[in-house]
Order: sequence, then structure tokens, then C-alpha cells
Amino acid sequence: MTTINGDQASPKASAATKSSTARVPPPETSEAVQTRFRVIAAFWAVIVLLGFPIWWKTTSIYRAHLPIQEMVDWDEGKICRPVFPLEIHVAAPAMQISESQHLLRTTQHSLDDFNEFAAHHLRLKLANDTSASNANGDQTAETEHEAAEERADIALTVRVLPQDDLTAPRSEIHADATQLDVFYPPNQVPLPSSSNPPLSAFIAQELQGLYSEEKATIAHILSGETAGSDSESISRRLRRSMKYADTYHLSFSLFTPGPVPSSWDIEAAVKEYLTPLLDAFAPISNFTVDTQVQLYATFSPMAPPPVYDEAETAWTLKKEDLSAFINAAEWPLNPSIGSGPTLNFVLYVPAPSQSPMLVKENRASSWIVPQWGGVSLLNPPLSEELSPSNPKHLTQESLRPAFMTFSHQLLTLLGTPATPSSLPLRLQTLIRVRAATLLLSASSTMGSLARLTESLPSIPIPATVASSVSTTLTHLGTTCSSLRDGRFAAALASARVAETEAERSFFEKSMVGQVYFPDEHKVAVYLPLLGPIGVPLIVGLLKEVKRLIAGRKARAGA
Amino acid sequence: MTVSSILSLFLAIAVSLWGSATSASSDYHEQLFLEPLPQSSLLASFNFRGNTSQQSFDNQHFRYFPRALGQILQHAHTKELHLRFTTGRWDANSWGSRPWNGSKEGGTGVELWAWIDASDDEEAFAKWITLTQSLSGLFCASLNFIDSTRTTRPVVSFEPTGNHPNASSLHLLHGTLPGEVVCTENLTPFLKLLPCKGKTGISTLFDGHKLFDAAWQSMSVDVHPICSSDGDCTVQIEQTVDMVLDIERSKRTRDNPIPRPIPHEQLVCDTSKPYTSEDTCYPLEKGTDMAWSLNEVFGRTLNGICPLTDSNDLSVCLRVPHEKSVFTSQGASELKQDDGFTRCFSLAETEPFDLSIPEQEVHTKPPLDEPILHAERTIVGHGQERGGMRIIFGNPSETNAVDFIYFESLPWYLRPYIHTLQATITGPDGVRREIPASDIVTETFYRPAIDRERGTQLELALSVPAASTVTLTYDFEKAVLRYNEYPPDANRGFNVAPAVIRVLDGENAQPIYIRTTSLLLPLPTPDFSMPYNVIILTSTVIALAFGTVFNILVRRVVSVEEAEALQAQTLKARLVGKVVALRDRFRKKDTKVE
Repeated sequence: MTTINGDQASPKASAATKSSTARVPPPETSEAVQTRFRVIAAFWAVIVLLGFPIWWKTTSIYRAHLPIQEMVDWDEGKICRPVFPLEIHVAAPAMQISESQHLLRTTQHSLDDFNEFAAHHLRLKLANDTSASNANGDQTAETEHEAAEERADIALTVRVLPQDDLTAPRSEIHADATQLDVFYPPNQVPLPSSSNPPLSAFIAQELQGLYSEEKATIAHILSGETAGSDSESISRRLRRSMKYADTYHLSFSLFTPGPVPSSWDIEAAVKEYLTPLLDAFAPISNFTVDTQVQLYATFSPMAPPPVYDEAETAWTLKKEDLSAFINAAEWPLNPSIGSGPTLNFVLYVPAPSQSPMLVKENRASSWIVPQWGGVSLLNPPLSEELSPSNPKHLTQESLRPAFMTFSHQLLTLLGTPATPSSLPLRLQTLIRVRAATLLLSASSTMGSLARLTESLPSIPIPATVASSVSTTLTHLGTTCSSLRDGRFAAALASARVAETEAERSFFEKSMVGQVYFPDEHKVAVYLPLLGPIGVPLIVGLLKEVKRLIAGRKARAGA
Repeated sequence: MTVSSILSLFLAIAVSLWGSATSASSDYHEQLFLEPLPQSSLLASFNFRGNTSQQSFDNQHFRYFPRALGQILQHAHTKELHLRFTTGRWDANSWGSRPWNGSKEGGTGVELWAWIDASDDEEAFAKWITLTQSLSGLFCASLNFIDSTRTTRPVVSFEPTGNHPNASSLHLLHGTLPGEVVCTENLTPFLKLLPCKGKTGISTLFDGHKLFDAAWQSMSVDVHPICSSDGDCTVQIEQTVDMVLDIERSKRTRDNPIPRPIPHEQLVCDTSKPYTSEDTCYPLEKGTDMAWSLNEVFGRTLNGICPLTDSNDLSVCLRVPHEKSVFTSQGASELKQDDGFTRCFSLAETEPFDLSIPEQEVHTKPPLDEPILHAERTIVGHGQERGGMRIIFGNPSETNAVDFIYFESLPWYLRPYIHTLQATITGPDGVRREIPASDIVTETFYRPAIDRERGTQLELALSVPAASTVTLTYDFEKAVLRYNEYPPDANRGFNVAPAVIRVLDGENAQPIYIRTTSLLLPLPTPDFSMPYNVIILTSTVIALAFGTVFNILVRRVVSVEEAEALQAQTLKARLVGKVVALRDRFRKKDTKVE
């Protein structure tokens, strides 16, 4: 028995009976055609209605919805233009209210004249204003607290004080407080008539000087440009400083190539020289401190050895060789365990045969390794018993210069500006600079994430990423408004959250994981199944479609 | 006197010295103990001990304590840590009892146990994972493979060696990696933990080539707190390296390491043998021990003493009879102990030190003490499905019974049937008797395995009578693993961690540990191309079945004549017809010509 496809034969069956002598089968009944149609339709229905949805469901990847446009807008700076209004209180206890108000007005005027960078501006206020409002209103403690939250941080208090034996005004900045004292000769009290009294000009100039570096730094960060000599030094400083982190691990290591010194008064030294500085940093970052002593720490064999310089009577290291000074392979300077970067401070006591050791070019005994830490050479007085040798123990006093250097290096590595001389002012500047940096970096991370998800349609986006993104965007908004209101500490706090969430969403593990089992592989494995099943199904479908079209034509013709 | 007791004696002396001295004295000690063993072996036992006060440890001011390890311990809230790297086998029959009573050695591969401060088991396990991951990086070992299936929580096998104020919140976790190959990359970080770093002191003798060429070697790191009665605590780190070197093998020079036969002229032959001739020789056993020196055995000399140690410390000790002459390099002075066998050397501070023993005839030999228990564990049985475990305990003592804890951690794919646990005992009379296991086993702690989650943990408290040998057997079933659970070298077999035996010696506070060798368990291994073959074969069968059913459903059935008639209607049939007609015409032309 032979089977042949009936659907071709059936339309021509009647014609065939005439020409052929052989017995031609009767035309297929319409029930048989109908049954075949139903069979093929049933098969395809299973494939389309059951097979495809299952395949789709099991192989699809979850992509949570991300506010792509908003993320890109943040990156392009369309949503937030960070501004830095600094509130400066002026107290002039010796002046009349009207006089001081006039002084304020004229100073503000000349400040505004000076300022060419609009995002960063100084706002003067009379100190009495706020205290007066506090005294008048009978506010409860709670509302007072709320008011304090609403109020802008006071960046600086200027106290204008008369002093008799002066011919020209002079100023004095407090090293440990945010206060600037301006002394003026009593005869220079600005007259209400004068539009630009010398005292106002002086104060404006002083303030301008105090904030010039901060202004340049922020302008540099916001614009991202690197032109100009001023900008060159700022970008160099920014390059050297560490990325912002919640916690920094500070690791102090004593390295020496010989057996001594093997102990140091490190606990006392840290407590005495470092803890006050770290406490001052508490609003910005936390610190952990660990210390170690490492003996027999030799130079790397690849590093150029120090050279004896007759003129200096010292062993000298060349400036360009300093990068090879740290023997990374041998010295145990591994990063501390736990989250946050490690800042390494190496105190190197050279061997007696190579003491004293200096840097050749500038006779310096310390240098910074950008984004890593600092090195300080300590040349203790050698004891001359039999052969010159280093002391066995380093006292707290002998560590003093090294720790002063380390403190300075720490400030630099954390990105603190070099001016003004008052540490609280520099830390405030650091808060603003950090807030600006974090704001920009979180925004740009958002932009990168948006572009990444757009360009790679095959990566999954888990719901956690979406929630992280929304947290980031909320906190970015808070940061921006806090900056606008002049509440910089709050701005930094929310920028920190924004940055961590942004990083978390960008570095989500399950997102990075690519498809391990590629589709081509699956097709290759299942081809023995898909091929033999697919071919009859498709041919059957095609024939049925052809028959239907022919039938319709025939009906149309009839 | 025994190896272990001497080592503990030195420890005691050192501790008492340290205790009596003022706080200004050194908090770092190191000691090398050398003892020639029978069969021209040499036991070298290195010990390094550093103390740091609990306060400066907590504040992360590290001096003798390595910073990297200290930070890991603090991060993982680990209060006490024991880490062991071991290769080779201690030959208890020839070498006697183990150094340090076995308390400083581990099973073959890597063994780690720690007491972790945590509020509950889950938290403890999370910290344990942190600990293993960090140590893995520090020691360049695969410790990160210690997962839940390789982690056990022994109940009675281990006791903390330190003093812990809040012992109730401590969790003991124990993990082993029997397949780990210990090598030079583990020694380098080990040396970096030492304050003198292998530059001075006894650690200068460490050479990866010699150390890992040893017949048996064990490196250990122990950290524990020691508290005095008035609440002052110190954190102590103790590192030891014990090795048994084959003197002859070690003396081979580095540039000519291939062993060559002794030239005929130098052979000492037993001429009393009847077959002695020019080309036949029965070598005569030498009555003397082989000559050796530190330089020959270790390939280098000892470079002075580590200046951090107390200058009164005797850092090198040797156990040979006093009558034996020992030559040392200049600047070192010898101090003989009263026991008749031990002598120690005080070294010059910066001079290199070498020690050499010439070949000489000696009539007294230092006695070797008999190990308190012999233990042997093997896998028995055949086939891919089942097997059995056989553990033999021998008590050499004629008078005393031995009580001990036997601790086994089995991988989950080895499924023991504890109800098949049987015991036989061979008494002093040499008769072998079956006895109920409960007669020998006084206590059992058993935690069954969960597939792919945890292994079996079995702790038995046993007692072996005097001069008897007890054999324990039980059956087990081998699990079939999933395709992706097999390692690349699946046909090699799977490592089963050594069993740990803790001898309970009532009057002796120091615990004695014995470890069996590790085992290889062959599991049924599939042909790894099988899944693809199965997929393809199944696909073909399904496709065939489908094609048949589909064709029957959609095709029309006609008779042969009808088929021929229908075929004429098809395009192919018509084409064939035309071709036939053409051929016929040509044929006709041909016939006409003819």
C-alpha cells in the first residue's frame, strides 16, 4: 500500500478520471478534508497556545521598570543645578543696629560685585537677628529643634570689634573655631551716607580670600574642566585624594630593614597626635586605626638603592624612584578587612649603615603616594656603643614629627583644601566639596546604569535595582534641596546614601551575570528533536494553507 | 623521657621563665628541637610563640601578632583558632609517639577548627564562612571550599585550650579539606606571620624544597587567649612546624638530586654469605648512625638568633646521647641537660650557626616511647553500590585500658548504616571474638547527613582493654552524585577526612590526639558525554514516534492502483511521462535508420 498526499490530488481528481485508464480513487469526502484540517490546527494550537507561552515564560528575563529618562536627566544635570549659599553671621556688638545693618548691606554689595561664580555665594546676616527671634518667640523645644533643622548651617561668624590703636582694619582667624575677628579703628565706623566704606571693602576682601580656594574647587568639580594653572593644582589635589567613603581604615606601619627599633609608643602617639584630628572628621567619615611593626623589611631587589651624597652627608633617594620604595611583594600592607578603603602610613627607619636617608631633590623626608597613603622617613639619632645602631624603642616624642607629617598627609589624602588656616573651616569646605562630588558621581552612575540597561537588552534587572534606583533619585533630590537651603551636613548625609545606593544598583551581581547557557547551544542539542518534528508540521501547515487559498479562489471563481 | 614530654617540658620551662621575668622581658620565643629517629630519619620541631595583650589586640596595635591574621580573627569574632597543614604519614611503629602528643598536627590536607563568638548557630556559621574565606586568601589554600557539607560541630572531641571569659556564647566549628595539597605557597605566608620572617633565628632553616620533601610534615597556627587569675588577658599565637626528614634523601645536593648506586668499591659487603663474589654483594648494616649537619640536611645554616627573643633563651636543642660528640660553629655554647640525652645550645647573636654530628659508634640509644594507641582505618568491600568501613584500635599497654573519643566526619555521599556497627575483640590470648558494640562503645553522638547540606558526624566514646585489639566495622552506601557535582578528576575517587582520636588521660591535663590516614572513596562515575547522548537519542525516538503518528493522522490511504493513477496526475509523473515519450521517439528514429 502506498500513501500519497491527498490534498493535491483531490481538486484534480475529476479531471484525472477522464485522461487515465487506471482506476482513480473517489474524491476525498469533505469530512476527511475537515478532519485533516482539524488535526493540523490542533497540533499548531498546542504549539502556539501552550508551547510558545511556556518557552517564553521559562526563558524570559525579569526587567524591572527603571525611570530611564529621569536617570539620564540627573546625569546631564537637567534636574539639579547645585548651589552653595553660605550663611555668614556678622556680629558687631559695638555698633548701633542701623550702623551694623548698613555695614552688612555695603559688605554684601561689594561681595556680590566680586563674585563671578554664581553657584557659590556668601550671604551675610546679622547675628542678632536669629537670637532676637529666639528670644521673642515662646517656642517649645521641639519646634526649636525643627527650626534648627530647617535653618541653614552657619558657615562662619564674623565678629567686628573696635580696637583703639589701629590705623587700618585687621583680621584674625580662629584656628579651632569658625570665627573671624575683624578689628577696626573706632573712627572707621561706616557712615550711613558712604556707599563703599573701607571697612566693608576690607571684610568683603577677607571673606573672598577665605573662600577663594573652595570656590575654585567647586567650580572645577562642577564644570569638569582642567584648564588654567589654578585648575591644574586643584585637579592634582583631587587626583591624589581618596574616593569618598563612610569608613577609612588607617594603617600605621613601622618598617625597618634591621632588627631594631622593634617597638614604638604608638598607642600614646595615636592618642596624642591623631585622635583630635579624627574626632574633628567625625561628621564626614569614620576611622579605624591599626598599627604594626615589621622588622627585616628589605627593599625590593628591583628598586634602585639609595645613593650616598657627599654634599648632603646623607643617603639620598631619587624622586623618580620613590614609586618603587614600597616593596609591595614583601611588606605586609594588605588592605584592612571590612568595607572601606585603607590608607597606609609607612614609617621607615633606615638601617644604621644608610642613615640618614633623604629625598635627593628637596631634602624632604616624606611623600604621599596618591590614593594609597604616605611614607615618612625617620632618622633617629644612632647610638654609638660598639657599632652605630638604631634605638630599640621609639618614644612618643621621637614619633612627633612623623605623626605631624602623617596628619598633614591624611588631610591631603582626604581631599581637605590647603587654605584657610582654620581646621573647622577647612572641614566645612570638605563637606561641601564632598557633597558636590558625591552628587555628581551618583548622578553619573545613574546615567551609566540607564545607558547600560538600554544598550544590553538581554541583562535582567531585578526589583532590588529598581528600588535602589528610586532611593538614589529621592536622596539626590534631598541633597539638591539641602544644598539650596545651605544645610550642607544634611546634604552630605543624603548624598552618601545616594552614592551607596547608586553603587549597589550598578554593581548588582545578578545583573552582571551573563547568559551562561547560550541559545545556540540549546538549539544544537535539541535539533534532533526540533528538526524531524518541525519539518512535517510546517509542510502540513503550508499545504493546508495552500488548499484553503485554492478553495477560496475556486469559490470566488464560481 | 619522650619526644612529646620533652617538648612540653621545654614549654613549661619557657613559660615559667616568662612568668618569673618582668614585663619588660621579651614576649616572643622560638625553639628548635632536633631528634634523630630510627631508620636515618630526623625529627625537626620548630616552635614560635608570640604574646600580645588583649587590650592592644582589641585596639589593633600589632607587634608580635601578625596584623593580617589579627584583623581576620576580629572580623570573624573568632576567639580561638587552630589551623593545620599536614602532608605525609607519621610512622608510629618506627618513630614512636607523636611530637606535642599529636596536639599540633592535623589530618592529611588542611584542618581548621575555631571557637566563634556568636549568639546563635546561624550567625556562627556565617562568621565561620567569613573566617574560612579570609584565611583562604591569607594562606593561599582552598579553605573557602569548607562549606556546610564539610563543617561539623564536634561535641566532645575538642576542648578550648585558652581561657575564655564568656564560654557560653562560643561555638566550635570544625572543617577539613583532606584533598588539599600542602606546598610552598602555604609556607611563604606562614613565614610572613613570624616577626623575624625567616631572615634571622631558627626560621632561616625553612626551605620549601626540603620542608615539602619530608616524609611527614605538619604546620600549625594556634591562637588563643590566656588569662591570669586577676583578669589580665594576653592573646597568644603559636606557630609550629614539625617534620621528619630522611637524612640520606635530604643530604643529596641540589645540583645532583638523582639518587645513584654506590660504586662497587665503596660497598661494605657481608662476606660471610655463601654467594659473595665480585658482582654479588649483601650489604652490611652499618652499626653507626649517619653523619649529618644542619647545613647538609636543611641546605642552609642557622642565621643567628631572632633579636626579639629573650637573650637567655636556648633556642636550639638536640636529643642525642651525651656521649655522642657534636660539633658546633664558633660562638655557641652547649648546655647538657640532666636526663642524659638532651643538650641545648645558646647561640651567638649575629653569627651563623651550624651543628654537625660525625658518624660514630654509640652504644646507648635514646628510648622511644610506645604510642598509647594504634589506630588504623580502611575502606573494605567491593562494588559500586556498597562498602564498609573498618577501624582497628590496638592497645599496646599490658596493664591499662585506654579510653578515648573517636570522631569521624563523613561526606554526605557516604551514607553509613550505624545499625550495622559491629565490634570484634582480640584479647591477649589471641582469640578473636564478636562482641556487641555497646560493650566497647560507652557513648555515641551521631548527627546524620542531609544530602548536599551537611555530612555525617559520628563521635564514639570507646574503651579498649589492655593488650587487646578492637575492630569496629560498619556498612555504608555510596550515593550517586548529580552530573555537575563530580570534580574534574572524578575517577580518582573522593577524599574522606581522617578520623580524629582524642585519648582521655585522666591524670594528664594535656590531651593526646591521634589521626588516622585519609581515605579515598571510589564512587560510581558516569560517562560524562552521556547526557548529550541521552538527549539526542531521546529526541530521535520522540521525533520518530511523532512523525509516524502525525503522518497517519494527516495522510490519505489509497490502494496501489489508485496511487498509480494519482501519481500520473502529479507534476513528477507528468515529467516522467514526457521523458519516456521523448526517449521513445529517439528509439523510433534509431530503428528507422537501421
